[in-house]
Amino acid sequence: MATDEALIAAVAGGDGSALAELYRRWERPLFRFIDRHTGGRDVEDLYQETWLRVVRAARRFDPERRFSTWLFQIALNLCRDWHRRPPPEPAEVDDVAATDAHVDAAIDARRLLAALPEPQRSAVILRYYHDLREDEVAAVLDCPRGTVKSRLHNAMRRLAALARR
Amino acid sequence: MSSETDCDESLTALLFGDPAAEAHVAACARCRAERAGVERARGLLAAAPEPVPPPGLAGRVLRAAAPLLARNARRATWPAVARALAAALVPLPLIAFFDWQIVRTAHAVLSRVLPDALSFYLVFNYAATLVLLLALTYAAVPILVERQARLRHQESHG
Repeated sequence: MATDEALIAAVAGGDGSALAELYRRWERPLFRFIDRHTGGRDVEDLYQETWLRVVRAARRFDPERRFSTWLFQIALNLCRDWHRRPPPEPAEVDDVAATDAHVDAAIDARRLLAALPEPQRSAVILRYYHDLREDEVAAVLDCPRGTVKSRLHNAMRRLAALARR
Repeated sequence: MSSETDCDESLTALLFGDPAAEAHVAACARCRAERAGVERARGLLAAAPEPVPPPGLAGRVLRAAAPLLARNARRATWPAVARALAAALVPLPLIAFFDWQIVRTAHAVLSRVLPDALSFYLVFNYAATLVLLLALTYAAVPILVERQARLRHQESHG
């Protein structure tokens, strides 16, 4: 079975069946990542744009790297750009509590994640939902492993504080 | 006494469901105090429904990607086109030299038996035809290379 890296090389040569196979492999993980990062808003647009960027940039893919890391980086950059658009994200913790009368019952995963600053949210999504190791998360976020650790620790404290409310 | 870093490590591991954290958390008073919040956060994260791509999205995405794939396919043939054109250009000076000699000779022969204007007209038409044929031949090179690449691709992918 062809590796992801071999398939993206074929996509660079215009191979539609290679793209279909890559799509089949990464359809759900990528959709879940974007959905959780944006809280379920504009997911389809960002998802489609991610795949288009993958095809457009396939020739520039470095075969020494992992395809999954590259794919998540593209999606992450799009999500970051999306968060920079109004209305601003992330929501403040106090806003999360204040905007809902049924705070305890209504806090769900989306609101928890939305309350995290973007770098912490990205780290939590990749670590928790995609089961990436810390070094893999660091590769996607393009930062040292120690930074990932501290982001996860800070996220853990924040999530625990929110969940206790 | 556990350090704050140890506690952070263990509670973060607990959040992500790592059973290795259990021993520390159970033995540490600070972690026991935090445990309920972390486990509740873990429960809330775990309870989130799994987002599923809507039906039809795959078709839309792959259709939107088709023109980009076609562009990739064209670009992939550029090096082969460049090589083929370079190879085809090698004999061009020789071809041009011989054609020029033919045109000159034809003009010299014709101008002996025909009025000068008519011989010039005939030779000019002959030269123009030669140039046109050469241009068409070189223009066909990229088309033929792309076609060849497409056929090879089809063969290798059944």
